[in-house]
Amino acid sequence: MQLDAPSVSETSWLHPSEWDILVLSTVIKVLLFPAYRSTDFEVHRNWLAITHSLPISQWYYDTSSQWTLDYPPFFAYFEKILSIPASVIDPKIVDLNNLNYDSWSIILYQRTTVIITELVLGAALLKFIRGAVDPPTQRVISASLFLHPGFLIIDHIHFQYNGFMFGILLWSILMARNGNKLASGILFAVLLNFKHIYMYLAPAYFIYLLRSFCLSPSGQVEIKNFLALANAVIAIFIASLAPFALMGQIHQLMSRLFPFTRGLNHAYWAPNAWALITAADRVLLRYAKSTGQIFHINMAGVSSTSRGLVGDTVFAVLPNIKPLHTFTITIALQSIVLIKLWFHPTYKSFLTALTLCGYSSYLFGWHVHEKAVLLILVPLSLLAAERHAYFRTFVIATVAGVFSLFPLLFTPAESVIEVIYSIVWFALLYIPLSKRVYEFPKSLSYVILDVLEKLYLGGFIFLQIFVASFPVLASWNLRRKIEESGNLNTSDSSAMEFLPLMVTSVYCAIGMVWGFMRLIFIYLNEDTTYQGQLSTIQ
Amino acid sequence: MTMADFPEPASLSRSKDAQQSSQSSHSIPGSSSTSTYASAGNPLVINTHNIRRPHHQQSPSSEIIAPTPRRHLLESNASHSWLHTPPLSPVSSRGISPTSTRATSPHSHLTRGTNGQQSFGSIMELSAPKLTIVKVAHTSESGMGRRWIRWSHKRGMRSSLIALIFLACVFLKLSLGLGSYSGENTPPMYGDYEAQRHWMEITIHIPIHQWYKYDLQYWGLDYPPLTAYVSWICGIAAHSINPTWVALDSSRGIETASSKLFMRASVVVFDALICVPALLLFSRTWFSTRSQRTQDLAFLLLMLHPALLLVDFGHFQYNSIMLGLTIMAMNFFATGQDLLGAVSFVLSLGFKQMALYYAPAIGSYLVAKCVLLGPANGGRLFVHLALTTVATFMLLFLPWIPPFSASPLLILDPIYRIFPFARGLFEDKVANFWCASNVVMKWKKWADQEILVKAAAVLTLLGFLPSVIVVGKAAWDLKVWNEPAATKVVESNGESEPEGSSSHTQILPLLPYALLNSSMSFFLFSFQVHEKTILLPLMPLMLLFSGATSDSEVYSWGALGSNVAVFSMWPLLKKDGLALSYFSLTLLWNRLIGHDPIKLIYTAFPFNSYVHLFSAGVYAAVISLHLLELIVAPPARYPDLFPVLNVLISTPVFVCLWLWSIKCCVQVSWAITGPLAFGEAENEHSKRSSTTLSDVNERRFSFVAKSDRTRAASLGHARGKRVRRSSTHSATGSATSTAIPPSSSVFRGNAGSNFVEERVRAYPE
Repeated sequence: MQLDAPSVSETSWLHPSEWDILVLSTVIKVLLFPAYRSTDFEVHRNWLAITHSLPISQWYYDTSSQWTLDYPPFFAYFEKILSIPASVIDPKIVDLNNLNYDSWSIILYQRTTVIITELVLGAALLKFIRGAVDPPTQRVISASLFLHPGFLIIDHIHFQYNGFMFGILLWSILMARNGNKLASGILFAVLLNFKHIYMYLAPAYFIYLLRSFCLSPSGQVEIKNFLALANAVIAIFIASLAPFALMGQIHQLMSRLFPFTRGLNHAYWAPNAWALITAADRVLLRYAKSTGQIFHINMAGVSSTSRGLVGDTVFAVLPNIKPLHTFTITIALQSIVLIKLWFHPTYKSFLTALTLCGYSSYLFGWHVHEKAVLLILVPLSLLAAERHAYFRTFVIATVAGVFSLFPLLFTPAESVIEVIYSIVWFALLYIPLSKRVYEFPKSLSYVILDVLEKLYLGGFIFLQIFVASFPVLASWNLRRKIEESGNLNTSDSSAMEFLPLMVTSVYCAIGMVWGFMRLIFIYLNEDTTYQGQLSTIQ
Repeated sequence: MTMADFPEPASLSRSKDAQQSSQSSHSIPGSSSTSTYASAGNPLVINTHNIRRPHHQQSPSSEIIAPTPRRHLLESNASHSWLHTPPLSPVSSRGISPTSTRATSPHSHLTRGTNGQQSFGSIMELSAPKLTIVKVAHTSESGMGRRWIRWSHKRGMRSSLIALIFLACVFLKLSLGLGSYSGENTPPMYGDYEAQRHWMEITIHIPIHQWYKYDLQYWGLDYPPLTAYVSWICGIAAHSINPTWVALDSSRGIETASSKLFMRASVVVFDALICVPALLLFSRTWFSTRSQRTQDLAFLLLMLHPALLLVDFGHFQYNSIMLGLTIMAMNFFATGQDLLGAVSFVLSLGFKQMALYYAPAIGSYLVAKCVLLGPANGGRLFVHLALTTVATFMLLFLPWIPPFSASPLLILDPIYRIFPFARGLFEDKVANFWCASNVVMKWKKWADQEILVKAAAVLTLLGFLPSVIVVGKAAWDLKVWNEPAATKVVESNGESEPEGSSSHTQILPLLPYALLNSSMSFFLFSFQVHEKTILLPLMPLMLLFSGATSDSEVYSWGALGSNVAVFSMWPLLKKDGLALSYFSLTLLWNRLIGHDPIKLIYTAFPFNSYVHLFSAGVYAAVISLHLLELIVAPPARYPDLFPVLNVLISTPVFVCLWLWSIKCCVQVSWAITGPLAFGEAENEHSKRSSTTLSDVNERRFSFVAKSDRTRAASLGHARGKRVRRSSTHSATGSATSTAIPPSSSVFRGNAGSNFVEERVRAYPE
């Protein structure tokens, strides 16, 4: 972790400090092998079995497990490749009927594949250091991304392949930075065919590539570039979808990829704008109940979301939200950003716009999962060392976003581990960078803002204490009540069961929304004469 | 009280300097590592005027004096003084401040001294006529730990580093705890985990006199009372959280996720309460004359040692409490608080009887100190020590002693349980003399149990005798009670405790080697040794190792010893399902210390030392054994083939370490009992210093001088800057700087070997 070293010489391809990070991260990930695994682990095992034992025509029709294949074709091909060594190691892994198989061999195999495929992320991050304006700082940022608690929680404990996917995304961003926009577009098209959630970011890519690659600065169409990009992207989609199109399965595939039967919020509300509005609805309902005020109360909503169950969210007091509303708001916000991007199609502007596109989709999208917060945090990290304003936005979004991932792990040991890891990670990132980017506050209002933001960040400590102590206090309370009354009355406790989750979600949502407002304000108002570190690379 | 507590008068000028130095350190990467000596770890010294600029500085000087301005620095220049934000670079950043080049004239010193912006250290340096910097041995930056510490110090994490290391270790320990433990899912007896949990269960549910009697077949309590008390505290905590975890009898073999977390957390908590502070204090007291980076690195290495991590947080035991208490005792000895040290060591014994392995070394050290102090002081110290020790033991066994128990014979219950002589010579395969030689001479067939016990006792005694003799002889050679003047000074300086006058603990550097010698001889030769017991000899070895530079002998032996110690526990860890943790933590540790066994094998010829060749051979054997075990199943005739091979590889290394510890004891004792009677010279020096100093500095200086003496004498590496400065200050130009290190190199790793060279160097030219 010798991050102040001079830039690495041409001959050695890995700096000792980079080896250190690799060794450290691998050791940590290997130690986490026996950790809790979510159902996603079984989902991916089932996909290995589907792709290995069924012909391609059956992949998107198989329902032998409830965890059907619902990722785009490239990911299915990826699973197909992974299933070949798996069948050699342990044939039971790829047995379609061997549901919930969790022997040591499958744990070892699947966890190892996550670590190995994550090296794509590592390679992309290394390349970011190599051409950076300020390699020591970029090295801190790269190391922080490689060791990001989001990846640790989601990939290495919960189980998914986000590290690999974000590796491709960062590779694509890197190509944009290095001026190879064709490669950038191609890599993004590949990524879309791995996991379609990256469509959140597609508008920024579209505008950026159109304006800066397909059009000349004066507005002329660069027909050669345009055709090259269009053909390449079409070729990738053909490679991905053609087998299924030929078999006439496109409709089935799309219905798997875009299930619109889910509700506005996920079981645990992702900390976005809808979480705030849902919470406001709950508060208003309580208020209406207690004061007897005349509201139009939708009785279906009274028992709806407070229980934290999957299903449609129905508001009791506020007007209900339809998918159309969420799309309208998202697209409206994105278009503001994209207009700015159209007129300033630089790399840094693109990176900010990319973040903002992901951000607005996350905040206002339909049925957003909390894991999608990585779509914001990863590109935002690349901007962290720009100016103090970016850094502060990054800090708020990161703390709120990582904290919002904590409820993903509910087993006792893992929920302690993730908190400690995140604290250490954050300190190692915050202390060097905050000194690097510090700027003197310009006026009193900045000072007040600074204090308020620090208070908000400090509040997470108390939130964590509350969340951690709540179950213990609740069980003590319950035990006392049983001792007092002698009979078990569960209705009282179960109503409060989701309180920590709700409080977490709302508190994080405040930070996420504020971070979005900060970032969009900075982006739209940024002093154009300022040439930051990233802007110097065209 | 340490030097770091000292008030810091020059914070304003410091921050400015530090800013600029941080700018320069961006441009001169070389400067930071070269002036190894300058202001390291000493917040007092800011202006390092007299330090010669290192030779191999690459960058042009214009870049240093006028670095390329950066945006945020220009903007934030004003803000630092106003907002009191921390400086961009810590004061210990070793890049030489650009201001120091223009402030070399004595005149500028004086003017700066008047407006109170001058640091205490610079006053000391001002009066020093000429300071010759002897460049300390080349420090290789090869280890990840060293790189990491350097980076975090430079990036402003100096103050929070200890907390971060601690938190990171807690994370690592808990993630290690996610894995399996001893006896998981193996009814009906389970393993060590269940034993510890069972003790919590019986201590809270059963009257105290029945503790050592209850259902002995199912993990009856067989550790001394402090373990029982700790179990009792844990049991109370567990009972208040969830009574089913420790319900009497019905909770046997409970393996729920939350009870597992509780058990794991209890180890982490007691480790954090006892072992971590002990290690931190160790790095601060024993390495007090070293830079803060070295101290932090030592702490990091000691915290992350795989053997203790794997046994305590993987396999499940509370060894860190016992080891932590012994280390605490060493810290107390180093600061001259022998009574507290004795209490601490008795507590360690009272936690696990295995701490007896250290008893010969600690006992001989304390007796030797009494000898050193002479009949009057030493005798008093001896009586005090004896009384304290007995009182602590009484306190530990209080419930089994008559006023509290029905019969005096009850004391025998714990005693019989603690010392199980009825068991065999050795149980599983353990890498000691008996088990290794059992391959050729079947001891149990040859001889009777009683004879073997006696043979083991005699061999163990012979094993640790050298260190006892060496310590005793060193004390006899150094005894000061023939000179009444010196004794008087001692009495006047020893403030509250006359026996605590630490200027006489010249034999202290012998202590770690003596500990290594005695615990290793117990491990190799004594009766009923378990493979986990290698942790005990490993502890002093690691304490020595943590401060060693990577080109020293201690480093080579320490790295080899630690890796082989972990390897010797491989059969146990494999059985516990900790194979992955074993490999990953060993990898991390070797990366941390910058040790590469594979490279060592490649570069075996031509070798640069016999240790190198030996290590290469051992590592080659270890790696091939692991590969063999992975590929081939053991033949049916010899199911224990791999554990036996493991023993045969490990035992020679431990025997060599034992011999090496004897060699080191002799070397160190020779170094500290050399021809110069520096003890009295020092006392004289301190008397003089208190009379020649000005009123302003008197109090501070006497403190500094005293603390210098304390450490110089106690540790023996007074070659550090503080002593040099204080001596040159007190007697400008006179040749009294005889505060010569008795064995300054002991903790740099070359025990006594380059002592003569140093002594020559230390003489005033």
